[in-house]
Amino acid sequence: MPNYKIQIDGKTYSANVETHPKGYCKIVLENSTIECTCDRNDAIAAWSIPLDGSMTHARSRSMESGRVEVWIGGLPFQFSVLPLGPGEMPSPGKSGERHISGQVRAIMPGRITSVMVRLGEKVAIGTPLILLEAMKMQNEIVAPKSGRVISIRVREGATVKKDAILVEII
Amino acid sequence: MTLKILIANRGEIALRIIRACRKLLIKTVLIYSDADQNSLPLAYADERYAIGGVTPVESYLNIGKIIQAATETGCDGIHPGYGFLSEDAAFVKTCEEEHITFIGPSHNSLAKLANKLSARTCMQNAGVPIIPGSDEALRDEEEAIAVADKIGYPVILKAVYGGGGRGMRIANDSNDVRRYFRITKMEATTSFGRDAVYLEKKLVEPRHIEIQALAEKQNKILILGERECSIQRRYQKLVEEAPSTAVSESLKEKLSRATVKGLDAAAYTNAGTVEFLLEPTGQFYFLEVNKRLQVEHNVTELTTGIDIVEEQIKVAFESISNLAQNEIKVDGWAINCRINAEDPRRDFTPSPGTVIHYHPPSGPGIRVDSALYSGHFVPEYYDSLILKLSTWGRHRREAIERMKGALDELEIIGIPTTIPLHQTVMQDEHFISGQFNTTYLNTLTPKLNQRLEQLEKIAAAVAAANRTVKPPQDKHKISHRSFWRGTRRFHHVNN
Repeated sequence: MPNYKIQIDGKTYSANVETHPKGYCKIVLENSTIECTCDRNDAIAAWSIPLDGSMTHARSRSMESGRVEVWIGGLPFQFSVLPLGPGEMPSPGKSGERHISGQVRAIMPGRITSVMVRLGEKVAIGTPLILLEAMKMQNEIVAPKSGRVISIRVREGATVKKDAILVEII
Repeated sequence: MTLKILIANRGEIALRIIRACRKLLIKTVLIYSDADQNSLPLAYADERYAIGGVTPVESYLNIGKIIQAATETGCDGIHPGYGFLSEDAAFVKTCEEEHITFIGPSHNSLAKLANKLSARTCMQNAGVPIIPGSDEALRDEEEAIAVADKIGYPVILKAVYGGGGRGMRIANDSNDVRRYFRITKMEATTSFGRDAVYLEKKLVEPRHIEIQALAEKQNKILILGERECSIQRRYQKLVEEAPSTAVSESLKEKLSRATVKGLDAAAYTNAGTVEFLLEPTGQFYFLEVNKRLQVEHNVTELTTGIDIVEEQIKVAFESISNLAQNEIKVDGWAINCRINAEDPRRDFTPSPGTVIHYHPPSGPGIRVDSALYSGHFVPEYYDSLILKLSTWGRHRREAIERMKGALDELEIIGIPTTIPLHQTVMQDEHFISGQFNTTYLNTLTPKLNQRLEQLEKIAAAVAAANRTVKPPQDKHKISHRSFWRGTRRFHHVNN
């Protein structure tokens, strides 16, 4: 029976953790079995994980409210790890699915040099929408999906913060 | 009397220069901005000098403040590192006027290579092949289109006063030229202060090969070998090697001769690198001269045993080096990975932040150049390069295997890094075969994404395991048996 629901960026994984002596854990996550050994259980735990014939390593630490930070392969991950109750099953079909948001955001803070689409215009994936000046470069922000422009939240000359919504497409 | 040198730079290269100076019993003065008050190299400089400000313009590009620092502390010379003022003619001139030895080329020799157009002219006159392109700055879109039509598409619009792979746009047809001409001019102004733009033909799948040279003042130019720098993302190098699988002895001879001819024609002095683009046919063309110490100088040091920073200092003060051409030997193979504070999941957006824990790899054939430490806050104002991981092996395969292990041992915890990209490269058959060119990294996106997905899955598993091993502390909870008690079944209170 799965005993954890792990969430990150709108995705959910379900996992069953079996603990064994000497820090060895066997985790069945979706369809894969992942083994890891806890080498050190300090403030930031250290793990070794056999992978594709060699070893890889991870560090982890628990935060408040069920959040767990994991660092592996040079990247940080922040998960929400919630134990599943006895009869609870995770929602099917959500794991691994990536929903492409129609909200086009500024990837870094900068200034809008040019708005290249009009309200109501039909766009395809890759259509240039906005020219954003940041870090001395003119960055072309393009449509992540096809659809129609239903909202333009900025105009030329405006300064925007990171993650600010620039354009919305549905 | 002991020499004293001011280091007009920061981060890993400041530490590199300090290390060379310590070895040579030269005293060091390190300038620092407000953002670098807690930087690691400060601890190893003999003196530190606050120049204030945070942005490069306020600090590391401020000639006035730097010269003041050097004169107040009684420095004999200034080492500019790379980037910042390392190729700034006005800075070199000011040093010369203030009788401070600039550790790099003379102002005279910089003049001929002052910008990309003058460098092209200098090289062409010296008989070095150059990429077909415009001879002058382009007046407007119409002229750009006319030149591009004549040379043939695709072309690359480039900033005349640019370099380092920045301020460039590819144009596949006249519409692109029209679309990007204005943008390229804007970027040229923001990045380089002048909007002059020219264009060059875009070569088909070339390799980027460069030659490291050291020019002594009597125009004796030593060649320290080639470097392979084709693995680039948006023209920024990410993995470099010495030597190159694409360069035979005879090609090396030709490239070396072209380098000597070109640098000689420019009356160049001190360390410098001439970059070439190499077509599959074996034809090579001059790309750019780097009139400074380069980021990837470490791979040349690993294969030749030469301390390039030491040689720079010696040539600057004494006009001679410790080297003779017939003694320079390339032994084994070295690879360098540039670890940047960038998020590969978000299009390599820079990711400043705190590195809460840092642990570098070590062991045979491993070299780390970095100013990181546990608790270091990577500032947002400067380059995203935070660590250079290089390996040496008796042959290329050994260097690669050592790199894989080193990338796994390296712990930079707290911020996203480019490590997953480097691991993907090191395990990719095309890289391992040595058959790749400057388009290579673009082809790796599917494999990189696969790795990113895999990392997320394993991380999720570890998160669940962590939760089991370290359940959240709750004041109502009974303390659980230690996980390390081993034989008995782990017991925790469900919440």
